[in-house]
Amino acid sequence: MYDVNEINDLTMKTKIAIILFLTVSLPGMAFNLFSSQEQKDPWTPQQLLNPAELAKMLNNPKLPQSYVFSVGPQAVIKGSIDIGPARMKGNLDNLRLQLDKLSKNALIVIYCGCCPFDRCPNVRPAIELLKNMQFCNYKLLNLPRNIKADWIDPGYPVND
Amino acid sequence: MTRLFLISAVIIFFGNISTGFAQTQRIALGDKAPEIELSDPNGRPVPLSYLKGKLVLIDFWATWCAPCVKEQTELAGLYKKYKRSEFTKGKGFEIYGVSLDAKKSNWETGIHTLNVQWIQVSDLKFWQSPVAKTYNIQELPFNVLIDENGIILAKNLHGAELGKAIAGYLIRK
Repeated sequence: MYDVNEINDLTMKTKIAIILFLTVSLPGMAFNLFSSQEQKDPWTPQQLLNPAELAKMLNNPKLPQSYVFSVGPQAVIKGSIDIGPARMKGNLDNLRLQLDKLSKNALIVIYCGCCPFDRCPNVRPAIELLKNMQFCNYKLLNLPRNIKADWIDPGYPVND
Repeated sequence: MTRLFLISAVIIFFGNISTGFAQTQRIALGDKAPEIELSDPNGRPVPLSYLKGKLVLIDFWATWCAPCVKEQTELAGLYKKYKRSEFTKGKGFEIYGVSLDAKKSNWETGIHTLNVQWIQVSDLKFWQSPVAKTYNIQELPFNVLIDENGIILAKNLHGAELGKAIAGYLIRK
C-alpha cells in the first residue's frame, strides 16, 4: 500500500524539481538562442556559389558573366578585381566605390580564400556591405577550406 | 562478371592507395624535406639546406592568418629557450619561417611588429606559392620539424605538443 502523504510529498518534490529546472535552464536556453542568432552568417546557403559553377562561367563567355571581387590577401581567380582584405576600412570603402558603379541586379561574386569561413575576417564585412547596399543578386564563393584547396588544386583558372 | 568486378575493385583500391601515397610521400616522416629556395625580406636567397647541422622548425605562416600570428609568440619562447641547445638531432635550434603573404609591406610589418628574430623567407605568392604545393599544405599554420640532415621528424605540431617534441631531443641546454 502507498501512503497518501508520501505520494503528496513526492508530487511536491517533483513540482519543485521542475520549477528549479526551468528557473535555471530557461535563461541559459534563451541566451544560447540569442547567441546563435548573433553569430549567424550574413549569407544564406542559397547564396553560396560552387567553385565549379564559377569556373564554368569564366571558361565560357557565352554564359552570363559576373563581377568577381577578391576581398582577401590576393586576387587569385582569373579576371577578379583585387579589393584587398575587407576587414580593413580603406579596402571596404574601395569596395563600396566599385559597387556604386554597378546595377543592384548585377551578379556579384565575393571571395577571400585565406582560411575556412569560421576564421575568415574578410567575407562577413563584404557580404554585409552588399546586403546593406541592397544588392539582390550576390553570391559568396564557397571555399570552405581555402583558395588553394578549393580553387587552385582543382585546376580552375587563375591570374598569372 | 564476378571476375570483372573483382579486377575493377583491385584496380580502384590500389589506384587510390598510390594516389594518396603520391600526395603525401614528399612530407612523410623519415623522408628528406624538399629544398626551399626563397629569399629573405632583403632579397637575399636563404635556402633551407643552409641550416644543415641544426634541429630546424619550418614554420609556414602569414600575417593574414590569425592563429599563425598568435603562434609567433610561442615560437619566440621556444627559439629563445633552445637556440643554442644541443640535441640528439642537431646542434642548435633554428626556425625557418616561410610566409604565404601576398604583399611585402604586410610581411615586413608583421616581422617588425612581432619582433621575429629568426630566418624569414617568402615569394609573396599567397596560396599560389609553389612551396605550398610541394609541402602539400592544406591550411595554416603548418610546420615541419627536421633534423640536422633535413630528415622529417614531425609534422604540424603546435602548442605543448611542439615544445614536448623539441624537448624530447634535448641533450644540453
